[in-house]
Order: sequence, then structure tokens, then C-alpha cells
Amino acid sequence: MNSLIKLEITRALRNKKFLFFSVIYPSVLFLLIAGSADSSTIVDGTGLNLPAFMMVSMASFGALTAVLMGNSERIAKERESGWVRQLRLTTLPGRGYVLAKTASAAVVSLPSIVIVFVVAASFKDVRFDGWQWLALTGAIWAGSLCFAALGVAIGYVASGDAVRPITMIVYFGLSILGGLWMPTTTFPQWLQDIATWLPTHAYAALGQAIELGDAPHTRDVALIVVYFLLFAGGAAWLYRKDTLKA
Amino acid sequence: MNTNAAVTFTGVTKSYGTVKAVDGLSLELHPGETVALLGPNGAGKSTTLDLLLGLRPADTGDVRVFGAGPRDAIVQGRVGAMLQSGGLMDEVTVRELVQLAVALHPKPYKADDVLTRAGITQIADRRVNKLSGGQEQRVRFALATAGDSDLIVLDEPTTGMDVSARQAFWATMREQADQGRTVLFATHYLEEADAIADRVLVLHRGRLLADGTAAEIKAKAGARKVSFDLEGPIDTAAVRALPFLTGIDISGQTVRIQSTDADATVHALYGLGVYPRNLEVAGLGLEQAFVAITAAEEAKSR
Repeated sequence: MNSLIKLEITRALRNKKFLFFSVIYPSVLFLLIAGSADSSTIVDGTGLNLPAFMMVSMASFGALTAVLMGNSERIAKERESGWVRQLRLTTLPGRGYVLAKTASAAVVSLPSIVIVFVVAASFKDVRFDGWQWLALTGAIWAGSLCFAALGVAIGYVASGDAVRPITMIVYFGLSILGGLWMPTTTFPQWLQDIATWLPTHAYAALGQAIELGDAPHTRDVALIVVYFLLFAGGAAWLYRKDTLKA
Repeated sequence: MNTNAAVTFTGVTKSYGTVKAVDGLSLELHPGETVALLGPNGAGKSTTLDLLLGLRPADTGDVRVFGAGPRDAIVQGRVGAMLQSGGLMDEVTVRELVQLAVALHPKPYKADDVLTRAGITQIADRRVNKLSGGQEQRVRFALATAGDSDLIVLDEPTTGMDVSARQAFWATMREQADQGRTVLFATHYLEEADAIADRVLVLHRGRLLADGTAAEIKAKAGARKVSFDLEGPIDTAAVRALPFLTGIDISGQTVRIQSTDADATVHALYGLGVYPRNLEVAGLGLEQAFVAITAAEEAKSR
């Protein structure tokens, strides 16, 4: 299985378009949004200044891009091309394919998180304690697993033609409504009520709590875990269905 | 049941909705045999191979590969297979892909040897998505022969190859068979089955229609149709008595016959002292040959 993980990583690092959107793009977006703001701009209802708030948002967004886009499109296309069938004729266990995909996505998502942090610290003077940086990296990286599972589920439910639009809708829907691009406090109240139940909102909230020097809220962690179980369960069910169909 | 069999199907059926793709199939392959699975499109060849490889579960019946379930046989490294619809991983080189197959095989060969044997050393550093159809087939073949498997399964392996590539491919394949492996390949070319296989299984509508040596199958399916017009009253008895006939239809002045040896039949026809006009000799084509075999089988069972 390690050989497949290694090859998947090699391939992900070779794909320049994918690397740009998951590793560079979030940092660029961070500079565009937080560029003119200084540290005295406090985001309503969060207690964080805009650069710090956007740093967590964009790191989460970058990780989301890497794991969601990476998994869904590849799986749907490779299911259609028959590569998945070919792999089933090897000793690779069934879950090995999905694990390799997720592992390679995780390898790309880590730099996308770290680069946003580096850019935020160097250009916008965002400062935190050492433990906070580590906790932020760990929480955002671990939380991205939830969306990796969602990517796998989409990859097994969508056909090769439909996978891109479906992923885009889910991706932008979750990013915007979850408050990764702008604080949900700018939304009308009814939309804010919906947003608090989204996995992306809980995801960004993990990092925001750490920035304030707290542990992540139980509600957000629970929400992420429930969504993870939901997505992973759905992915496993869809995988089994697909296997019987061959 | 022979416990030494390479492959055993016992009363296997598989339906898609109301279509029976495989219909009560029983067969046994012996170690070391090179077997062609012959049939027209939709005969159930691919489904049979899917069942054999454990890619789909059978509705009823039992599939054994070296006495084990298909998946177990694969995990033990006893089976190498090349699928018709076997896509390849994009954005990696041929060598990387072959190295992956080698790493996943329990009894692997060296990647360089696999590349050489499949004749793809020159394209080893090319990206997989930049290959021609025939080159892709060779890469698939390399994946199927990455290790010392006892059974090699190939689903229409020469699709997309030109004649010379096809010949080179079968030479490679024969090497595999000469090393004592069991080789099973699906094809819809009778000539291919004839040139390569020790044994030919003819599949039609999910049933095993014939099982024999290529020569036996050719005698049945290699028939030709001969048609000609005769003037005046036709000596029906003499025409019917022509050698190698397997079928005859006389309507008006036109005679249509099927013969397993058209040359001899036509020679004998001239021997009757008649003067046939508009003489045509044509191959039967596999589809029609199957109809002929089916008719023959039904007549026999009646």
C-alpha cells in the first residue's frame, strides 16, 4: 500500500494546477482580503482582528481545497476509466485505494496551511505563542480529514462528467456559507443560523478558539466528528455499492 | 470436482436485470493450458472473466481459482490479469506504474525485466496519458505479468493493435504459456484463437456452446457458404450428396450450401458435370458460424 501512497504523492506534487489552487491560491486570497486591514480591525462577534481571522479561514480553505478537490475528481475519473478495477486485481486491500488518495491529499494540505501562516506572520504581523501555532496546524490539518471523507463520497456518487460541477457547488457552498471567505456575522440572521450547523463553520471555529487562547469548543469538535462519521460512513457504503457493480 | 484444476465454474449464473449474461456455466481449466474464450460481443465473455477475477459476485453457482475463491487467489499472487476496460493511472510514467505493479505482487519480477518482456523499455519514461492505444495495451500486459503468476487472464488483449503489434504481442504471450502458465484470453477473432490456443471455449448468450481444440471448433465454425445458380432441372440428390456439406437451401435455380471445405465441395460440384453460374464462396463470419453451431447442437440434442 505504501507504494501506491508514494506514487499518489509524486503525482499530486507533479500536478501544477492542483498545487497552485491548493497551496498558493489561499495565501494570495489572504493577502487580497486582509491586505488593507490593520490589526485594529476587529471582526464582529469573534474578538479577533481581521488578519488573524482571515488567516485561520484561508488555512482552512486551503486544506479544504486540497482534500476535497483532490479526492472527488480523481476517484470519479478513475472509477470511470477502470483503473479502480485494475487495482482490484492486485493484492491492494479495498480500502488501500481510498487511504492512498487521502494520504496524498493530506501531504498537499499541510504546506497549504503552513504557507498561509508564514504569509500572515511575515506580511500582516500576525503573532501567536508557539503552542498556538502548533495547535492551529494540528487542528486544521486533522479537521481536513472530515472533508477528505466528503471528497471520497462525492467521488463514488458522481460520474466523471458530473464530478467537477458537483464538487464546485459543494466547495463554494461550504466555503462561503461556512464563513471561510467573510465572517458569517455579515450574513442575515436566518443565514447565520444555518451557517453555524455547517462543517466548515465548525472547522474554522476550531482555529479561532485556539487563536483566542482557548481549547476548541466542544460543540464544534462534536459537529466535525459527526460530519466526519456521516461522510466516512456514506463513502464506505457507496464504495461497497460500487464494488458490487464493478 | 478436480482439486488440481486451475479454474472451476460450477453452475454459475449472472444476470443484469432481466438479461442473463452468464447462464448456468460450468467449466474447468487445467494447469498449463492456453485457452481461448471465443464469442461475439455480448456473449458473456467479459462477465465470465469478471466472475473469474472476483470483480463481480455470481448470482448462483461457485467459482474457484486454484481451489480458492477468486479474491484469495489474487492475494496469493496466483493470478495476473489484463482487463479490456482497465484504465491506467494518469500523470505517472510507464516505469512508475510498472514499479507499482511489481511492488504489489507477492512474487514479483524485476521492473526492468517486466518492461523488457512487454517490449515497452523505450517508452518507460513517457507519461501514461501520452500513449497510443496499442502502447497502452502493452502497459496493461506488463501490469498483468509483473510477477510469477500461475494464471494469466486477458480480456481482448489485442484490441487497438495493428497487425504487426498483434503478432509481436502473441509471441510474448506464447512465452508466458511456454513457461507452464495457464493462459485464458477472450477474443472475438477465430483466427487468434486458432493460432494461439490449445483449447477453445465458445460462448454464446452466456452458455458454453462448444469446447474443443481449435481444429475442432474450426471444423464447426470455420464453415464457408457457397452459392450458385444452375440451369434446367436440378439433380437435388446429387447436390445434397456433395462432400463436406453442413447445410443446404435450394430455392428456384439458386443453391446455397454451407461447407466445412469449400474447395473440395466446389471441386466435386464441377465433377457432377453441371455448369454453375454466379458462383460465390464466402466466409461464414463468426456470428453466423455460431448460429450454425447452435443449430447443429440443437439438432444433436433432439
